[in-house]
Amino acid sequence: MESALVLDGLTKRFGDFVAVDDLSLRVPRGSIYGFIGPNGAGKTTTIRMVMSIFYPDQGTITVLGDSNPEAVKDRLGYLPEEKGLYKTMKVHEIVSYFGQLKGLDRRTADDRARELLVRYGLGDWLDKKCQALSKGMGQKVQLLGTILHGPELVILDEPFSGLDPVNMDVMRDTILDMRKEGRTVIFSTHVMTQAEEICDYVMMIHRSRKVLDGTIAQVKAQHGRGIRLAFDGDGSAVFDDLQRQGLLASHRDHGREAELFPAAGVADQQVLKALVDRVVVRRFDVSEISLHEVFVRTVKKAGQPIAEEEIEAAKEGLR
Amino acid sequence: MIDHKTFLVARRELVENVRTKTFWIGIFMLPLIYGIAIGVNILLKDAKQVRAYAVLDLSGDGRLDAAIQQRAATTDLLKVSGDEADGSTEADGGTEAAQRAERARQWFESLPQEHPLRDLVARLAAAGVSFDAASLRDGEGLNALPPDARKVLMGWFRDVAGDPEKVQALRSLASDISLGRYRRVSLQELGIDPDAQDVERQLNAKIQDETLFAYFVLPEDPVDSDQGARYVSNNLTDNDLRQWYEQRATEVVRDLRVRKLGLSEDDARSILKSFDFRKTKVSATGEAEDVEVGDQAASFAPVAFVYLLWIAVFTAAQMLLTNTVEEKSNRLIEVLLSSVSPLQLMTGKVLGIAATGLTIVLSWVLSSIVGVQFVPDDSPLGGGTLTAIIGDPLYLGSFVFYFLAGYLLYGAILVALGSVCSSLKEAQNLMQPIFILLIIPLVAMIFVVQEPNGTVARILTYVPFFTPFLMMNRAGGPPPTWEYVASTLLILVSLWVAFRAAAKVFRIGILMTGKPPKPAEILRWLRAPIGTITPKRIDVAH
Repeated sequence: MESALVLDGLTKRFGDFVAVDDLSLRVPRGSIYGFIGPNGAGKTTTIRMVMSIFYPDQGTITVLGDSNPEAVKDRLGYLPEEKGLYKTMKVHEIVSYFGQLKGLDRRTADDRARELLVRYGLGDWLDKKCQALSKGMGQKVQLLGTILHGPELVILDEPFSGLDPVNMDVMRDTILDMRKEGRTVIFSTHVMTQAEEICDYVMMIHRSRKVLDGTIAQVKAQHGRGIRLAFDGDGSAVFDDLQRQGLLASHRDHGREAELFPAAGVADQQVLKALVDRVVVRRFDVSEISLHEVFVRTVKKAGQPIAEEEIEAAKEGLR
Repeated sequence: MIDHKTFLVARRELVENVRTKTFWIGIFMLPLIYGIAIGVNILLKDAKQVRAYAVLDLSGDGRLDAAIQQRAATTDLLKVSGDEADGSTEADGGTEAAQRAERARQWFESLPQEHPLRDLVARLAAAGVSFDAASLRDGEGLNALPPDARKVLMGWFRDVAGDPEKVQALRSLASDISLGRYRRVSLQELGIDPDAQDVERQLNAKIQDETLFAYFVLPEDPVDSDQGARYVSNNLTDNDLRQWYEQRATEVVRDLRVRKLGLSEDDARSILKSFDFRKTKVSATGEAEDVEVGDQAASFAPVAFVYLLWIAVFTAAQMLLTNTVEEKSNRLIEVLLSSVSPLQLMTGKVLGIAATGLTIVLSWVLSSIVGVQFVPDDSPLGGGTLTAIIGDPLYLGSFVFYFLAGYLLYGAILVALGSVCSSLKEAQNLMQPIFILLIIPLVAMIFVVQEPNGTVARILTYVPFFTPFLMMNRAGGPPPTWEYVASTLLILVSLWVAFRAAAKVFRIGILMTGKPPKPAEILRWLRAPIGTITPKRIDVAH
């Protein structure tokens, strides 16, 4: 399959701190690709290199078949995590402006901006100033500014952070629509359920290095199956007991739901039997392991994520 | 340099700025000043709050006061009849005199029908006197006229002086028709008996209840000394009346003294003649030539221009800084940088605000050219000199050019500075040294105007930060051509250096978060070639 993005041996250092270390990756065209990883892992740095905001120290980036990412800037769309609007600009003007910066002529950009804003329910706000928008509306406007010019590859950095459920749905639908139109979408997140829901592929980056990549199924296949449990009652004491009794190899308690991993040779039914006496089981679902669990296990195996203090210390040391 | 994306950024800046209040305040600042100047002028003319003054003459039977009044009237008449019709008072060759007479006649023809001067000519004609302004000139005043002519003139003048409208008509020709803002009132009019014992007490009461603005007391023997001569008023800031009356009185008293000493008129005139230096300057060709109004304007015009230039440069550069910091703190930078390169963004911003500033500056130039048409010559601003300054392309041309040069230089510095700051407060701290730098040309302004081609002016001119201001400041000189060439070259070179440096700092600084870097780190960025360096500290925490 043709690739929308190919990274090869990508490395970026800030002083002595290696932000991205020897990263190689292929993002197939028309797919939705999730970049997952803890804070400070190097997701944003990687994205910024693809957007030619940073230059890599080593390695190559091939975007939409072009080895010079700057040459295809206009065919990309980028929504940074830190995003803002010109407060005094009118809503339709700023969307149109972002489109024009991507090479649309003024007329087309204006027309499309109005059409898109109306379609996304912001018809009443066309001529209002951006400072009048609520946070959710502002984020919608930013998203529209990112996709107005019909980019072939869209990169969204933490697009779901700070969204209410309604707007989360809008964001998810937009991402799915883009795939339907044949565009490629890369987004970064550290909320695993979102990645699991939407992505065709995920790449996990941890401590500046890629630790996982592949389709969701491939990533999960390495980790076997698990039991997803919804329950009422004092779960943690029960799960600890089951683990002591040798029924469970490990477990993850989320409060009213949990993920349980039976020990080798233990049938799922045995676990269920032990559970029903102690808690109210609302759902008992034997399925593949969650992406969340994959994430946590990977982090555990690869060492703790770089602590914020550690990053700070590294940064301070560089000064 | 100006590709499509740069243009888009610049256009957005311009459109955004045009929508701000600051922009329109800038546009209307100068026209407003002109408007006020003109308005005040009209108000002064129309509303002319006439102030009453009285004279208490103790010199016996009012002789001195009468003589002073006549002297004042003579001076008025001289101004009305002579100076305005023809600026020159030098008697030259015959043809010139004829030309002057012809000009005077044309000027007289151009007066409106009801003008008081026409009335005077008519009266003189009726009395069978031929009126020749030239005969009024030589210091002798009305005494040189035949007695019947003198009578006609004085009669006419009394009529005119009593009618504010006519005084106004004459005032437009000369500066003082017995100082039209002040009205002479007699003691009788005030209801005071001149022979009463307590005249002064009564006059003081009038001043207290504000019916009287001031009164003069002429002493018993003014010829001997000015002991006892007093000017009484509660307004001690408005000295026009006192100075005007004092001068007339001096002339009269001098005449009396001359007569008392028994000097011949020629001797007296010779003694009284003041010793004047004619102002001349050396022209470009090395000849001595007379100083014109425009040259006199040159002495103070640069100060005004430097001040305006300073405001314009400072405002525009500051706008750029605020804008950059705002864009950065608004988190817009990353979105923008995914579409345009840092250089495009920076250039676009600088140019957009240059266009904004230039619009304002050009509107000032335009409103000056238009506005000066409406400023009357006798306005407090000095209409004639103003016209001379505005009419001189050296000033307006320099103003526009040095605005651009100054703005671009400081703009480059401030845009780089703004790029490394995360908040306006930080930016303002970093701006302080720049501000101190900017103060220097303001402080030096007065020295430089006094000595436009002096050593201090020359040295400061070749400090790139000051070049635009100094060259504007020295325009009154003006500096020799080679200095214009050298300073322009210097400006171009320093702009080139400033922009290269700014571009380097900008592309790194604009993505930084946290505290601004130390100067040493910025220097490190400047030394490294473009693209090879990234900040050591950038927000990697994602």
